[in-house]
Amino acid sequence: MKVYVVDNGGQWTHREWRVLKYLKVETKIIPNTTPFEEITDLDGLVLSGGAPSIACEAGRMGFNAVYLDRATFPILGICAGMQVMCQHFGAQLGPADVPEFGEVDLTVSDHSGLFKELPDSFTVWGSHNDEVKAVPAGFKLTASSPSCKIEGVACLNRPLYGVQFHPEVENTQYGSEIFQNFLEIIKVQKQ
Amino acid sequence: MLGTEDFIREAEESISQKIPAPGKAVIACSGGVDSMVTAALASKAIGSRLLAVYVDNGLMRKGEDEEVEAMLKHMGINYRIVKAGPEFFDALENVEEPEHKRKIIGEKFIRVFEREAKEFGATFLLQGTIAPDWIESGDGIRDTIKSHHNVGGLPKDLGMTLVEPLRDLYKDEVRDVARALGVEASERQPFPGPALAIRCLGEVTPEKIAIVREACYIVEDEIMKSVKDGKDVRPWQYFAVLLPSKSVGVQGDRRAYGYTVAVRAVDSVDGMTATFSKLSISVLNKISVRITDTMKNQVNRVVYDITSKPPATIEWE
Repeated sequence: MKVYVVDNGGQWTHREWRVLKYLKVETKIIPNTTPFEEITDLDGLVLSGGAPSIACEAGRMGFNAVYLDRATFPILGICAGMQVMCQHFGAQLGPADVPEFGEVDLTVSDHSGLFKELPDSFTVWGSHNDEVKAVPAGFKLTASSPSCKIEGVACLNRPLYGVQFHPEVENTQYGSEIFQNFLEIIKVQKQ
Repeated sequence: MLGTEDFIREAEESISQKIPAPGKAVIACSGGVDSMVTAALASKAIGSRLLAVYVDNGLMRKGEDEEVEAMLKHMGINYRIVKAGPEFFDALENVEEPEHKRKIIGEKFIRVFEREAKEFGATFLLQGTIAPDWIESGDGIRDTIKSHHNVGGLPKDLGMTLVEPLRDLYKDEVRDVARALGVEASERQPFPGPALAIRCLGEVTPEKIAIVREACYIVEDEIMKSVKDGKDVRPWQYFAVLLPSKSVGVQGDRRAYGYTVAVRAVDSVDGMTATFSKLSISVLNKISVRITDTMKNQVNRVVYDITSKPPATIEWE
Protein backbone atom coordinates (compact mmCIF):
# COMPACT_ATOMS: atom_id res chain seq x y z
CA MET A 1 0.00 0.00 0.00
CA LYS A 2 1.34 3.39 -1.02
CA VAL A 3 0.35 6.43 1.02
CA TYR A 4 2.31 9.68 0.67
CA VAL A 5 2.41 12.72 2.93
CA VAL A 6 2.02 16.16 1.37
CA ASP A 7 4.30 18.60 3.17
CA ASN A 8 2.53 21.82 4.05
CA GLY A 9 5.38 22.83 6.35
CA GLY A 10 4.18 21.27 9.59
CA GLN A 11 6.37 20.57 12.60
CA TRP A 12 4.93 17.06 12.60
CA THR A 13 4.84 16.25 8.86
CA HIS A 14 7.80 13.91 9.37
CA ARG A 15 6.00 12.29 12.32
CA GLU A 16 3.12 11.41 9.95
CA TRP A 17 5.70 9.77 7.69
CA ARG A 18 7.08 7.88 10.72
CA VAL A 19 3.65 6.59 11.80
CA LEU A 20 2.91 5.34 8.27
CA LYS A 21 6.37 3.75 8.06
CA TYR A 22 5.77 1.96 11.37
CA LEU A 23 2.44 0.70 9.99
CA LYS A 24 4.49 -0.87 7.13
CA VAL A 25 3.10 1.37 4.44
CA GLU A 26 5.20 2.51 1.48
CA THR A 27 5.46 6.21 2.19
CA LYS A 28 7.30 9.37 1.25
CA ILE A 29 7.07 13.07 2.03
CA ILE A 30 6.35 15.12 -1.09
CA PRO A 31 6.29 18.91 -1.60
CA ASN A 32 2.82 20.42 -1.91
CA THR A 33 3.86 21.63 -5.35
CA THR A 34 4.11 18.06 -6.70
CA PRO A 35 1.99 17.83 -9.90
CA PHE A 36 -1.02 15.55 -9.47
CA GLU A 37 0.09 13.54 -12.55
CA GLU A 38 3.06 12.27 -10.49
CA ILE A 39 0.93 10.79 -7.74
CA THR A 40 -1.97 9.18 -9.61
CA ASP A 41 -0.78 5.68 -8.61
CA LEU A 42 -1.16 6.31 -4.86
CA ASP A 43 -3.59 4.40 -2.66
CA GLY A 44 -4.05 7.29 -0.25
CA LEU A 45 -2.74 10.70 0.69
CA VAL A 46 -2.20 12.63 3.91
CA LEU A 47 -2.27 16.44 3.79
CA SER A 48 -0.04 17.63 6.60
CA GLY A 49 -0.43 20.62 8.84
CA GLY A 50 1.64 23.74 8.43
CA ALA A 51 2.33 27.24 9.60
CA PRO A 52 0.38 29.12 6.90
CA SER A 53 -2.85 30.76 7.91
CA ILE A 54 -4.85 29.37 5.02
CA ALA A 55 -7.43 32.12 5.12
CA CYS A 56 -4.77 34.71 4.25
CA GLU A 57 -1.79 32.74 2.92
CA ALA A 58 -3.50 30.35 0.50
CA GLY A 59 -0.56 30.77 -1.89
CA ARG A 60 1.64 28.66 0.40
CA MET A 61 -0.72 25.68 0.17
CA GLY A 62 0.46 24.59 -3.31
CA PHE A 63 -1.67 22.01 -5.11
CA ASN A 64 -3.69 20.74 -2.13
CA ALA A 65 -6.89 21.90 -3.86
CA VAL A 66 -5.96 20.01 -7.03
CA TYR A 67 -5.42 16.79 -5.08
CA LEU A 68 -8.80 17.29 -3.39
CA ASP A 69 -10.54 17.79 -6.74
CA ARG A 70 -8.89 15.04 -8.75
CA ALA A 71 -8.00 12.21 -6.38
CA THR A 72 -10.11 9.08 -6.40
CA PHE A 73 -8.08 7.60 -3.51
CA PRO A 74 -8.83 8.50 0.13
CA ILE A 75 -7.36 11.69 1.59
CA LEU A 76 -6.76 12.52 5.25
CA GLY A 77 -6.27 16.21 6.01
CA ILE A 78 -4.57 17.03 9.32
CA CYS A 79 -4.76 20.49 10.96
CA ALA A 80 -4.04 22.94 8.10
CA GLY A 81 -4.72 19.94 5.84
CA MET A 82 -8.27 19.73 7.18
CA GLN A 83 -8.66 23.49 6.99
CA VAL A 84 -7.68 23.61 3.32
CA MET A 85 -10.09 20.74 2.64
CA CYS A 86 -12.99 22.49 4.35
CA GLN A 87 -12.25 25.85 2.76
CA HIS A 88 -11.99 24.25 -0.67
CA PHE A 89 -15.48 22.81 -0.28
CA GLY A 90 -16.99 26.09 0.85
CA ALA A 91 -16.41 26.53 4.59
CA GLN A 92 -15.21 29.73 6.22
CA LEU A 93 -11.92 29.71 8.15
CA GLY A 94 -10.81 32.23 10.71
CA PRO A 95 -8.79 32.77 13.86
CA ALA A 96 -9.95 30.37 16.57
CA ASP A 97 -12.02 31.90 19.35
CA VAL A 98 -9.81 29.87 21.70
CA PRO A 99 -6.70 28.38 20.06
CA GLU A 100 -5.48 24.98 21.27
CA PHE A 101 -1.83 24.13 21.98
CA GLY A 102 -1.20 20.78 23.56
CA GLU A 103 -3.83 18.77 25.39
CA VAL A 104 -7.40 18.74 24.01
CA ASP A 105 -10.44 16.77 25.27
CA LEU A 106 -11.95 15.20 22.17
CA THR A 107 -15.55 14.06 21.89
CA VAL A 108 -16.32 11.74 19.00
CA SER A 109 -19.76 12.05 17.41
CA ASP A 110 -19.31 9.65 14.50
CA HIS A 111 -17.66 6.26 14.83
CA SER A 112 -18.01 5.15 11.22
CA GLY A 113 -14.70 6.22 9.67
CA LEU A 114 -11.49 7.38 11.34
CA PHE A 115 -12.92 6.82 14.83
CA LYS A 116 -14.18 3.27 14.25
CA GLU A 117 -14.17 1.27 17.49
CA LEU A 118 -12.57 4.13 19.43
CA PRO A 119 -14.00 5.55 22.70
CA ASP A 120 -16.56 8.36 22.74
CA SER A 121 -14.04 10.71 24.32
CA PHE A 122 -10.27 10.70 24.72
CA THR A 123 -7.27 13.03 24.89
CA VAL A 124 -5.61 14.33 21.77
CA TRP A 125 -3.05 17.07 21.08
CA GLY A 126 -3.63 20.08 18.92
CA SER A 127 -1.58 23.08 17.84
CA HIS A 128 -3.61 25.59 15.87
CA ASN A 129 -4.32 29.31 15.70
CA ASP A 130 -7.11 29.09 13.10
CA GLU A 131 -10.21 26.96 12.89
CA VAL A 132 -12.96 25.88 10.54
CA LYS A 133 -16.05 27.97 11.28
CA ALA A 134 -18.74 25.69 9.78
CA VAL A 135 -18.93 22.16 8.37
CA PRO A 136 -18.92 22.50 4.56
CA ALA A 137 -21.94 21.30 2.55
CA GLY A 138 -21.63 17.62 1.75
CA PHE A 139 -19.58 16.91 4.88
CA LYS A 140 -20.53 15.76 8.37
CA LEU A 141 -19.05 16.55 11.76
CA THR A 142 -17.20 13.60 13.35
CA ALA A 143 -15.58 15.09 16.47
CA SER A 144 -15.39 18.25 18.56
CA SER A 145 -13.76 19.70 21.69
CA PRO A 146 -14.87 22.26 24.28
CA SER A 147 -12.83 25.02 22.59
CA CYS A 148 -13.15 23.93 18.99
CA LYS A 149 -16.48 22.79 17.58
CA ILE A 150 -15.03 21.27 14.41
CA GLU A 151 -12.28 18.81 15.34
CA GLY A 152 -13.18 16.21 12.72
CA VAL A 153 -15.07 16.04 9.43
CA ALA A 154 -15.88 13.43 6.81
CA CYS A 155 -17.21 13.87 3.28
CA LEU A 156 -20.58 12.19 2.67
CA ASN A 157 -19.95 10.86 -0.83
CA ARG A 158 -16.16 10.70 -1.23
CA PRO A 159 -13.40 9.21 1.00
CA LEU A 160 -12.19 12.57 2.33
CA TYR A 161 -11.50 12.92 6.05
CA GLY A 162 -10.15 15.72 8.18
CA VAL A 163 -8.99 16.19 11.77
CA GLN A 164 -8.05 19.47 13.39
CA PHE A 165 -5.88 17.72 16.01
CA HIS A 166 -2.74 15.69 15.40
CA PRO A 167 -3.08 11.89 15.46
CA GLU A 168 0.63 11.53 14.58
CA VAL A 169 2.09 12.80 17.86
CA GLU A 170 2.93 10.59 20.83
CA ASN A 171 0.65 12.39 23.27
CA THR A 172 -2.51 11.82 21.23
CA GLN A 173 -4.32 8.75 22.50
CA TYR A 174 -5.33 6.24 19.79
CA GLY A 175 -3.28 8.17 17.21
CA SER A 176 -1.95 5.04 15.58
CA GLU A 177 -5.48 3.54 15.58
CA ILE A 178 -6.80 6.58 13.70
CA PHE A 179 -4.14 6.01 11.03
CA GLN A 180 -4.99 2.31 10.96
CA ASN A 181 -8.65 3.16 10.42
CA PHE A 182 -7.59 5.41 7.54
CA LEU A 183 -5.61 2.51 6.07
CA GLU A 184 -8.72 0.30 6.47
CA ILE A 185 -10.73 2.86 4.53
CA ILE A 186 -8.07 2.70 1.81
CA LYS A 187 -8.24 -1.12 1.73
CA VAL A 188 -12.02 -1.08 1.34
CA GLN A 189 -11.73 1.57 -1.37
CA LYS A 190 -9.23 -0.58 -3.32
CA GLN A 191 -11.56 -3.59 -3.43
CA MET B 1 12.54 1.15 16.55
CA LEU B 2 11.45 -0.59 13.41
CA GLY B 3 14.34 -2.56 11.89
CA THR B 4 17.28 -1.37 14.01
CA GLU B 5 19.69 -3.92 12.53
CA ASP B 6 18.70 -3.00 8.98
CA PHE B 7 19.21 0.65 9.78
CA ILE B 8 22.71 0.02 11.14
CA ARG B 9 23.72 -2.01 8.07
CA GLU B 10 22.32 0.55 5.64
CA ALA B 11 23.83 3.51 7.50
CA GLU B 12 27.29 1.93 7.48
CA GLU B 13 27.02 1.16 3.76
CA SER B 14 25.85 4.67 3.05
CA ILE B 15 28.71 6.26 5.02
CA SER B 16 31.25 4.06 3.21
CA GLN B 17 29.80 5.09 -0.13
CA LYS B 18 29.62 8.78 0.69
CA ILE B 19 33.18 8.89 2.08
CA PRO B 20 35.16 6.67 -0.30
CA ALA B 21 38.81 5.85 0.50
CA PRO B 22 41.14 7.61 0.89
CA GLY B 23 38.67 10.36 1.91
CA LYS B 24 38.78 11.47 5.51
CA ALA B 25 36.09 12.89 7.77
CA VAL B 26 35.76 14.70 11.05
CA ILE B 27 32.79 13.96 13.26
CA ALA B 28 31.44 16.81 15.34
CA CYS B 29 31.21 15.12 18.71
CA SER B 30 29.43 16.65 21.70
CA GLY B 31 29.34 13.41 23.65
CA GLY B 32 25.57 13.17 23.29
CA VAL B 33 23.84 10.08 22.02
CA ASP B 34 23.29 11.45 18.49
CA SER B 35 26.90 12.31 17.77
CA MET B 36 28.28 9.25 19.58
CA VAL B 37 26.06 6.93 17.53
CA THR B 38 27.15 8.70 14.37
CA ALA B 39 30.78 8.31 15.48
CA ALA B 40 30.25 4.60 16.17
CA LEU B 41 28.63 4.01 12.77
CA ALA B 42 31.31 6.03 10.98
CA SER B 43 34.08 4.29 12.86
CA LYS B 44 32.77 0.92 11.66
CA ALA B 45 32.44 2.27 8.13
CA ILE B 46 35.69 4.19 7.60
CA GLY B 47 37.89 3.24 10.60
CA SER B 48 40.98 5.37 11.03
CA ARG B 49 39.92 7.80 8.29
CA LEU B 50 37.69 9.30 10.99
CA LEU B 51 38.62 11.95 13.55
CA ALA B 52 36.22 12.84 16.37
CA VAL B 53 36.43 16.46 17.48
CA TYR B 54 35.01 17.61 20.81
CA VAL B 55 34.91 21.35 21.42
CA ASP B 56 35.41 22.55 24.96
CA ASN B 57 33.49 25.78 24.40
CA GLY B 58 33.32 26.82 28.05
CA LEU B 59 29.57 26.24 27.96
CA MET B 60 29.34 22.57 28.89
CA ARG B 61 27.98 21.05 32.10
CA LYS B 62 29.95 20.23 35.24
CA GLY B 63 32.44 17.46 34.58
CA GLU B 64 31.29 17.04 30.99
CA ASP B 65 34.63 17.70 29.28
CA GLU B 66 36.27 14.87 31.24
CA GLU B 67 33.29 12.54 30.86
CA VAL B 68 33.21 12.90 27.08
CA GLU B 69 36.95 12.44 26.75
CA ALA B 70 36.69 9.20 28.74
CA MET B 71 33.93 7.94 26.42
CA LEU B 72 35.95 8.78 23.32
CA LYS B 73 38.93 6.96 24.81
CA HIS B 74 36.84 3.86 25.51
CA MET B 75 35.59 3.86 21.93
CA GLY B 76 39.16 3.59 20.70
CA ILE B 77 38.73 6.09 17.87
CA ASN B 78 40.94 9.03 16.81
CA TYR B 79 39.84 12.07 18.72
CA ARG B 80 40.85 15.62 19.57
CA ILE B 81 39.67 17.90 22.34
CA VAL B 82 39.79 21.52 21.25
CA LYS B 83 39.83 24.18 23.95
CA ALA B 84 37.96 27.18 22.58
CA GLY B 85 36.16 28.71 25.56
CA PRO B 86 37.49 32.28 25.27
CA GLU B 87 36.73 32.28 21.53
CA PHE B 88 33.06 31.47 22.23
CA PHE B 89 32.66 33.96 25.08
CA ASP B 90 34.21 36.75 23.00
CA ALA B 91 31.83 36.08 20.15
CA LEU B 92 28.83 36.07 22.50
CA GLU B 93 29.62 39.38 24.17
CA ASN B 94 26.63 41.76 24.21
CA VAL B 95 24.44 39.25 22.36
CA GLU B 96 21.00 38.75 23.90
CA GLU B 97 18.70 37.52 21.14
CA PRO B 98 18.38 33.70 21.21
CA GLU B 99 18.53 33.17 17.44
CA HIS B 100 21.56 35.43 17.21
CA LYS B 101 23.27 33.40 19.96
CA ARG B 102 22.49 30.13 18.19
CA LYS B 103 23.84 31.36 14.85
CA ILE B 104 27.06 32.67 16.41
CA ILE B 105 27.64 29.39 18.23
CA GLY B 106 26.86 27.37 15.10
CA GLU B 107 29.41 29.33 13.12
CA LYS B 108 32.07 29.12 15.84
CA PHE B 109 31.68 25.34 15.94
CA ILE B 110 32.10 25.12 12.18
CA ARG B 111 35.23 27.27 12.17
CA VAL B 112 36.79 24.96 14.76
CA PHE B 113 35.80 21.88 12.73
CA GLU B 114 37.19 23.47 9.56
CA ARG B 115 40.54 24.07 11.24
CA GLU B 116 40.70 20.53 12.56
CA ALA B 117 39.56 19.07 9.24
CA LYS B 118 42.29 20.94 7.40
CA GLU B 119 44.94 19.63 9.75
CA PHE B 120 43.63 16.06 9.50
CA GLY B 121 43.17 16.35 5.73
CA ALA B 122 39.42 15.77 5.89
CA THR B 123 36.93 17.06 3.37
CA PHE B 124 33.83 15.53 4.96
CA LEU B 125 31.97 16.64 8.07
CA LEU B 126 29.83 14.05 9.85
CA GLN B 127 27.11 15.33 12.14
CA GLY B 128 24.60 13.58 14.38
CA THR B 129 21.74 15.69 13.05
CA ILE B 130 18.35 14.11 13.82
CA ALA B 131 14.85 14.91 12.55
CA PRO B 132 13.85 17.57 15.11
CA ASP B 133 17.06 19.52 14.34
CA TRP B 134 16.19 20.20 10.70
CA ILE B 135 12.44 20.34 11.31
CA GLU B 136 12.74 23.08 13.93
CA SER B 137 15.48 24.93 12.05
CA GLY B 138 12.95 25.62 9.28
CA ASP B 139 13.30 25.62 5.50
CA GLY B 140 11.48 26.92 2.44
CA ILE B 141 8.06 25.91 3.73
CA ARG B 142 8.60 25.38 7.45
CA ASP B 143 8.81 28.15 10.03
CA THR B 144 12.02 28.45 12.02
CA ILE B 145 11.19 27.56 15.61
CA LYS B 146 14.84 27.65 16.62
CA SER B 147 18.03 27.33 14.58
CA HIS B 148 19.74 24.17 15.72
CA HIS B 149 23.46 24.92 15.61
CA ASN B 150 24.18 21.98 13.32
CA VAL B 151 21.58 23.00 10.70
CA GLY B 152 20.38 26.60 10.93
CA GLY B 153 23.73 27.68 12.35
CA LEU B 154 25.75 26.36 9.40
CA PRO B 155 27.50 29.11 7.44
CA LYS B 156 26.73 29.34 3.73
CA ASP B 157 30.40 28.97 2.82
CA LEU B 158 30.88 25.58 4.50
CA GLY B 159 33.90 24.12 2.76
CA MET B 160 33.16 20.48 3.60
CA THR B 161 30.67 17.88 2.43
CA LEU B 162 28.07 17.16 5.09
CA VAL B 163 27.18 13.58 5.94
CA GLU B 164 24.26 13.09 8.33
CA PRO B 165 23.19 9.46 8.67
CA LEU B 166 20.58 10.01 11.41
CA ARG B 167 18.50 12.71 9.69
CA ASP B 168 15.30 10.64 9.66
CA LEU B 169 15.53 9.42 13.26
CA TYR B 170 14.12 10.77 16.50
CA LYS B 171 15.80 10.47 19.89
CA ASP B 172 14.00 7.26 20.91
CA GLU B 173 15.16 5.60 17.70
CA VAL B 174 18.74 6.86 18.10
CA ARG B 175 18.77 5.32 21.59
CA ASP B 176 17.66 1.98 20.13
CA VAL B 177 20.55 2.14 17.66
CA ALA B 178 22.92 3.19 20.48
CA ARG B 179 21.88 0.21 22.61
CA ALA B 180 22.30 -2.17 19.68
CA LEU B 181 25.80 -0.80 19.04
CA GLY B 182 26.74 -0.74 22.74
CA VAL B 183 27.34 3.02 22.67
CA GLU B 184 28.11 4.25 26.18
CA ALA B 185 26.14 7.48 25.72
CA SER B 186 22.89 5.60 24.99
CA GLU B 187 21.05 6.81 28.10
CA ARG B 188 22.49 10.32 28.42
CA GLN B 189 19.80 12.97 28.55
CA PRO B 190 19.48 15.33 25.58
CA PHE B 191 21.66 18.42 25.80
CA PRO B 192 21.44 21.23 23.26
CA GLY B 193 24.34 22.05 20.93
CA PRO B 194 24.55 25.70 22.08
CA ALA B 195 24.89 24.17 25.54
CA LEU B 196 24.43 26.33 28.64
CA ALA B 197 24.42 29.49 26.51
CA ILE B 198 20.71 29.00 25.82
CA ARG B 199 19.97 28.18 29.47
CA CYS B 200 21.28 31.59 30.43
CA LEU B 201 18.61 33.97 29.14
CA GLY B 202 19.93 37.24 27.83
CA GLU B 203 23.64 37.96 27.61
CA VAL B 204 26.04 35.10 28.22
CA THR B 205 28.95 35.78 30.57
CA PRO B 206 31.38 33.36 32.24
CA GLU B 207 29.86 34.34 35.62
CA LYS B 208 26.30 33.58 34.53
CA ILE B 209 27.36 30.32 32.91
CA ALA B 210 28.98 29.31 36.21
CA ILE B 211 25.67 29.95 38.01
CA VAL B 212 23.54 27.97 35.57
CA ARG B 213 26.15 25.19 35.42
CA GLU B 214 25.94 24.71 39.20
CA ALA B 215 22.15 24.94 39.20
CA CYS B 216 21.92 22.35 36.39
CA TYR B 217 24.22 20.09 38.35
CA ILE B 218 22.04 20.33 41.46
CA VAL B 219 18.85 19.63 39.46
CA GLU B 220 20.42 16.58 37.80
CA ASP B 221 21.96 15.32 41.04
CA GLU B 222 18.81 15.63 43.16
CA ILE B 223 16.56 14.12 40.50
CA MET B 224 18.87 11.16 39.96
CA LYS B 225 19.12 10.56 43.73
CA SER B 226 15.33 10.58 43.96
CA VAL B 227 15.06 8.23 40.96
CA LYS B 228 17.52 5.87 42.63
CA ASP B 229 15.42 5.93 45.80
CA GLY B 230 12.36 5.03 43.75
CA LYS B 231 10.60 8.31 44.56
CA ASP B 232 10.61 9.69 41.02
CA VAL B 233 10.66 8.39 37.48
CA ARG B 234 13.59 9.69 35.47
CA PRO B 235 12.31 12.46 33.19
CA TRP B 236 13.27 12.62 29.52
CA GLN B 237 15.21 15.84 30.13
CA TYR B 238 15.80 17.89 33.29
CA PHE B 239 17.79 21.04 33.88
CA ALA B 240 17.90 24.59 35.23
CA VAL B 241 17.52 27.89 33.42
CA LEU B 242 18.92 31.18 34.72
CA LEU B 243 16.43 33.98 34.22
CA PRO B 244 17.68 37.50 33.56
CA SER B 245 15.44 39.19 36.13
CA LYS B 246 16.11 39.71 39.82
CA SER B 247 13.71 39.60 42.73
CA VAL B 248 13.69 40.42 46.42
CA GLY B 249 14.30 37.90 49.16
CA VAL B 250 15.27 37.68 52.81
CA GLN B 251 18.33 35.74 53.96
CA GLY B 252 19.27 35.67 57.66
CA ASP B 253 17.30 38.84 58.43
CA ARG B 254 19.02 40.64 55.57
CA ARG B 255 17.45 41.84 52.35
CA ALA B 256 18.51 39.86 49.31
CA TYR B 257 18.18 40.79 45.68
CA GLY B 258 19.13 37.90 43.42
CA TYR B 259 18.43 35.86 40.33
CA THR B 260 15.64 33.37 39.74
CA VAL B 261 16.35 29.86 38.54
CA ALA B 262 13.64 27.96 36.65
CA VAL B 263 13.66 24.19 36.94
CA ARG B 264 12.50 22.36 33.81
CA ALA B 265 11.82 18.63 33.62
CA VAL B 266 9.82 17.06 30.80
CA ASP B 267 8.59 13.70 29.64
CA SER B 268 8.75 12.96 25.94
CA VAL B 269 9.46 10.22 23.43
CA ASP B 270 10.73 12.10 20.43
CA GLY B 271 11.23 15.68 21.61
CA MET B 272 8.52 16.93 19.25
CA THR B 273 5.85 17.00 21.95
CA ALA B 274 6.48 17.00 25.69
CA THR B 275 4.67 17.35 28.99
CA PHE B 276 6.16 18.76 32.16
CA SER B 277 7.21 15.98 34.54
CA LYS B 278 5.07 15.39 37.58
CA LEU B 279 8.09 15.36 39.90
CA SER B 280 7.54 14.65 43.58
CA ILE B 281 7.17 17.68 45.83
CA SER B 282 9.99 16.29 47.94
CA VAL B 283 12.52 16.42 45.11
CA LEU B 284 11.37 19.90 44.06
CA ASN B 285 11.81 20.99 47.65
CA LYS B 286 15.32 19.51 47.84
CA ILE B 287 16.33 21.23 44.62
CA SER B 288 14.96 24.56 45.81
CA VAL B 289 16.61 24.47 49.24
CA ARG B 290 19.97 23.28 47.92
CA ILE B 291 20.13 25.91 45.17
CA THR B 292 19.14 28.81 47.39
CA ASP B 293 21.40 27.70 50.28
CA THR B 294 24.54 26.82 48.37
CA MET B 295 24.18 29.61 45.81
CA LYS B 296 22.89 32.30 48.17
CA ASN B 297 24.95 35.08 46.66
CA GLN B 298 23.44 34.58 43.23
CA VAL B 299 20.02 32.92 43.52
CA ASN B 300 17.18 33.58 45.97
CA ARG B 301 14.20 32.15 44.08
CA VAL B 302 13.44 28.87 42.32
CA VAL B 303 10.37 28.19 40.16
CA TYR B 304 9.12 25.08 38.32
CA ASP B 305 8.08 25.30 34.68
CA ILE B 306 4.67 23.67 34.16
CA THR B 307 4.28 24.19 30.40
CA SER B 308 3.98 21.53 27.73
CA LYS B 309 5.47 21.56 24.24
CA PRO B 310 3.55 22.98 22.46
CA PRO B 311 3.03 25.81 23.26
CA ALA B 312 6.47 26.09 24.94
CA THR B 313 9.60 24.38 23.68
CA ILE B 314 11.68 22.20 26.01
CA GLU B 315 14.62 24.60 26.26
CA TRP B 316 13.78 28.26 26.90
CA GLU B 317 15.70 29.78 23.97
